[in-house]
Amino acid sequence: MLPWFRIDRTRLTEQTIHDGPSVERIALLGADLPGLRPKLRCGQGDRVERGQVVFHDRAHPDVVLVSPVSGVVESITLGPRRSLSALVIRSENAQHDPDPLVIAKSTPAEMRSALLAQGFWPAFLTRPFGRIPAPDAVPEAIFVTVTADNPYAPDPRVVLGDQLEMFTAGLKAMTLLTSGKVHVCQSPGADIAAGLGARIRGSFFPAGRSSGFASTHIHHSHPVDASRSVWSIGYQDVAAIGKLVATGVHDFSRIVAFTGPRAKQPRLIRTVAGASLPDLIRHEALPGSHGSPLCVFSGSAARGRESSWLGRYHQQVSLLDDASSHGKLPESVVMARLRRTSSQLAPLIPTTALERALAFDIPVVPLLRALSVGDAETAKRLGCLEMVEEDLAEVSLACTSGADYGRMLRHVLDELAEDA
Amino acid sequence: MTGWLLDPQRTRQRTGWTPARVTLAQLVALAGPVAVTLVERGTPQIAVLMTALVTCLIWELTFDLIRGRSLSWHTATVALILAVLVPASVPLWQIAMAASFGVVFGELVFGGRGYGIVSGAAAGAGFLVFSFIGTTLSLSNEALALATLPGALLLLRGGLVSWGVLVSAAVVLAASGFAQTGAGGLPTVAASVAFGLVFLIGDPVAGASTNLGRWVFGALAGVLIVLFDTVAGPAIATAAIVFASLLASIFAPLIDHMAVAMVIRLRRRRHG
Repeated sequence: MLPWFRIDRTRLTEQTIHDGPSVERIALLGADLPGLRPKLRCGQGDRVERGQVVFHDRAHPDVVLVSPVSGVVESITLGPRRSLSALVIRSENAQHDPDPLVIAKSTPAEMRSALLAQGFWPAFLTRPFGRIPAPDAVPEAIFVTVTADNPYAPDPRVVLGDQLEMFTAGLKAMTLLTSGKVHVCQSPGADIAAGLGARIRGSFFPAGRSSGFASTHIHHSHPVDASRSVWSIGYQDVAAIGKLVATGVHDFSRIVAFTGPRAKQPRLIRTVAGASLPDLIRHEALPGSHGSPLCVFSGSAARGRESSWLGRYHQQVSLLDDASSHGKLPESVVMARLRRTSSQLAPLIPTTALERALAFDIPVVPLLRALSVGDAETAKRLGCLEMVEEDLAEVSLACTSGADYGRMLRHVLDELAEDA
Repeated sequence: MTGWLLDPQRTRQRTGWTPARVTLAQLVALAGPVAVTLVERGTPQIAVLMTALVTCLIWELTFDLIRGRSLSWHTATVALILAVLVPASVPLWQIAMAASFGVVFGELVFGGRGYGIVSGAAAGAGFLVFSFIGTTLSLSNEALALATLPGALLLLRGGLVSWGVLVSAAVVLAASGFAQTGAGGLPTVAASVAFGLVFLIGDPVAGASTNLGRWVFGALAGVLIVLFDTVAGPAIATAAIVFASLLASIFAPLIDHMAVAMVIRLRRRRHG
């Protein structure tokens, strides 16, 4: 089957917010925290309160992660090189609303320490490198991503509908963290950041491939390199920061979309970051048309990952047919003979489909060649510092080699980050 | 490098290009021109096609067995292009020699399609003209050009042929044709170069791989075709396209290198 002969059976998401089912377990995931090595502040079996610190970054003790629910730490698994794999918390049935905190937030230093102490720091990601920023770093600008990265993702204007005041308070808090501008990147329409002063600026990105990604916004508005750094943050985190600043309540809820061909009713659901996906989708999946098993992705089908937990930065849960069952479908003899079975990388054929798949004004084939041989210097000269893994997801699919260029990019970025 | 493969769950959720699909698209695109050639030239041309096909696949099978890979069928496209370019008057053993040289030294010794530096079909056709005195490749005509069109659209849509290469080469050829014979000669020029432009000059592996580089590459190929052309009048010899493709391919990495240097310099200037 040729790439453009595929029918997308995914139905559009109904953009109304429903309360999701209660989830029994939530997890803090190492996959969301590249390059972070945890120093645990709780042990297995400990009781933790909502908002209590569970671990901090070994390199920056001020960067803490907090528990989004009250409950008991069920398991802590570590990954390679003392990174975290997952910290699972079983939530208590009786969740009581916490008392509002009193937070000093008038000066930049106070705002910074309040966000650090409340575990909001991991909401920010730096460009270059796509990591959690150092506690004392000052970005040249902050990019608030208020765009949906695909047609099935939650519509930010719907999600922010009744939280606009909180969102505005959050934007004002952002101005205390940077000396430059706060870019509010939106799809065309009414400016939701209008009239908030000269430093909060609405930027508009027409719908199109990759126009929903922070890297694309940054590439067009404020390109970065080794000496210039900006931060990006998602709109739901800005609204949560706004709520903390305005009311003193730390809101861990997150609105995600159920999507994919196997979703019974594609719609928006209010749940918690890190929620257990089997709990969340218990009554949401359709049976497979050929009896194929279900495959649950956190994030979109193109850029997400197969997971049992909702990722920190994901706004979508994709319910898909399990790929391994595709092999059982009737397949023509010719296609079976033509199908690549090798576990090695196939050649890179420099088609113009690669240019179409990358949203950056960068020569893509030389970049992919540099990444695939691990040539960090050339990749840096070509502008790989502006990207993170998700920006190369489309390219990886368009390329004949079958390589995961996102993973290659992370490898090169880690090498460059160590030198920087 | 191993361990860098894309998650199979993700690749199956959204179809992308694979080498097999590239081969399939090229075979589909070649079906029209090959059919027209066979209908026009009759049974002797079927012998040419079979000789080229069998030779190419034997070589590919040999290399795949040595390297322990599954058969990729890529060399079938080389055979089909050769079957269109080579007339039936050429002895079959010469065709087998040319096809062998084309697939082995154009593609297989480098590791297969996608790793070589020239188009395998161009290498084979060039070998035929150079080695056997008096051999001429068959001239293209209107029917072949028309049969090329649907395949060309398919390849353009899939990104397997670049607009930049085709347009810049066509502009150079049209300008030269106009200078020689005026507007009346342009249809002849178009008919004689269409197949070669799409399947030899347009080969994505042998050409430049940056956007800017593709325009320069196409223009260079156009200029070389005009220089090498030996046929009087507006028609263009197929051998000229073959040699222009070979020579331009050799310059493609240099063109890309300069294009990348220019892009990087522009980036520096823009970002300070």
